[in-house]
Amino acid sequence: MIQIYNLTKSYQKDAAALKDLTLKIPKGDFVYITGPSGAGKSTLLKLLYAAEKPSRGQILIDGKNLTRMNTSKIALVRRRLGIVFQDFKLINTRSIFENVAFPLEVQGKKRYEVSSKVYQAIKHVGLEHKLKKFPLELSGGEQQRVAIARALVIDPQILIADEPTGNLDPDVTLEIMELFKGANARGTTILLATHDRDMIRRFPRRTLSLDQGRLVEDRMF
Amino acid sequence: MRKLIYFFVRALRNMRQSPFLCTAAVSTVMVALVILAFFAMVILNIEQLTRNWSREVQVSAYLEQPLNADAVRQKSSRIELFPEVEDVAYISPQQAYERFKVRLGDDADILQGMKSDFLPASFSISLKEKFRNRSGVEKVVERLQQDKQFNDLRYGQEWLEKFEAFLALMHAAGLILGGFLLFAALFIVSNTIRLTLFARREELEVMALVGGTPGFIKTPFLLEGALQGAAGGVLAVLISYSFFQVFLRENLAHLLIASGVGRIEFLPPLWQLALVVTGACLGLIGSFLSLRKLVRI
Repeated sequence: MIQIYNLTKSYQKDAAALKDLTLKIPKGDFVYITGPSGAGKSTLLKLLYAAEKPSRGQILIDGKNLTRMNTSKIALVRRRLGIVFQDFKLINTRSIFENVAFPLEVQGKKRYEVSSKVYQAIKHVGLEHKLKKFPLELSGGEQQRVAIARALVIDPQILIADEPTGNLDPDVTLEIMELFKGANARGTTILLATHDRDMIRRFPRRTLSLDQGRLVEDRMF
Repeated sequence: MRKLIYFFVRALRNMRQSPFLCTAAVSTVMVALVILAFFAMVILNIEQLTRNWSREVQVSAYLEQPLNADAVRQKSSRIELFPEVEDVAYISPQQAYERFKVRLGDDADILQGMKSDFLPASFSISLKEKFRNRSGVEKVVERLQQDKQFNDLRYGQEWLEKFEAFLALMHAAGLILGGFLLFAALFIVSNTIRLTLFARREELEVMALVGGTPGFIKTPFLLEGALQGAAGGVLAVLISYSFFQVFLRENLAHLLIASGVGRIEFLPPLWQLALVVTGACLGLIGSFLSLRKLVRI
């Protein structure tokens, strides 16, 4: 369960990127966060994975206040989060296998455990034949699938995706949405920022609409 | 232990995956340390030179009357018991005359008509190395003054004062220049490492985002910095040794011998080890300073 109370983030004095946001996201939910550019979608996600600190307000994940945690505790929370970025954020000097293995390495998992989980995750996104390739040898869609495999390999409680299909063509978008739906069906809470109205129409789910940093609509399906 | 091995393996893998960055860091440390090694070599050889010069620090104790062999033996062994004294030599009036004659060289004919015993007998007392300074000399002189048979004690006060001033200046210059060089080396190394880390900032960011704790993220990079620094240190020792063999020993030796250095020495093993450790520390501190600015989770 994610609880957000009076969340405000200002980068400059008189311009808040997010204003007084309050909402609850139950465990296992699939939520779109939508709105025009500059609406505050990315800011909200960054606050959720603690890449930014709020100017005011609280974020509770499973009852624990994220805004009051030190860096070591935040690291432990992030181990339960899967994060997918529009620009993938893969490490180009590491192979696909190594990229996906990275979150498990961080958690100190044993090698045999890492190998089998990584193989499963990569197979799940259909790239098991490209284990030894490097990110720059793959297409954009393939790189995003690697990023999703990296996010899902830890069986995350919450998956946060910031415009994951922003740069991809419609066929690849469909494939990726299927991966998210699958993860959601296995119990992962999904938070997906997008401004792709068409995608929301095709896969309707709870939709939070932001505009100029404010929540203007919370639509349930 | 498993974690340490993991960090070590990751540090090595990072270096293998970014050979260009790794080479840049190792080369910078190497260049900085070669400069430092030459500076250390200069200091070491000047110390050697001053050690030679310090042999000149002697006390001459002049006797009222020459002594017979027994008395010389007795007095010598008494002076040799002083903790500061290394060696005692009795110089009879005749020996003093002969030395004086040699020193006069072409002007020795001025001694014509003089008796060979007109110079006073004396004891020439040389001191152990660590007492070749003003306080050591003064202690010996103080003890000798109690012996009424000595009517004059000479120890080249003026020369000793100049020598001590020179040593003090050399130590101060060594400390200031050495400190400055070390600081400059740290500055250069830290900036190079910052550049190499900057090139890998995405990796650092991803590590943080997938739940790496600050210690987990920083340790391999610190280890990598230390390993690169140590590698730079080893290379610096090898390069300065080759340079020493090819240029200093062969080409500059005659110049140095003319200035009073018996032979020029390379850094002893302990100094070489210190250079490698300095390299490791430079890499470690350089990485630490850069990471502090780059890893803000």
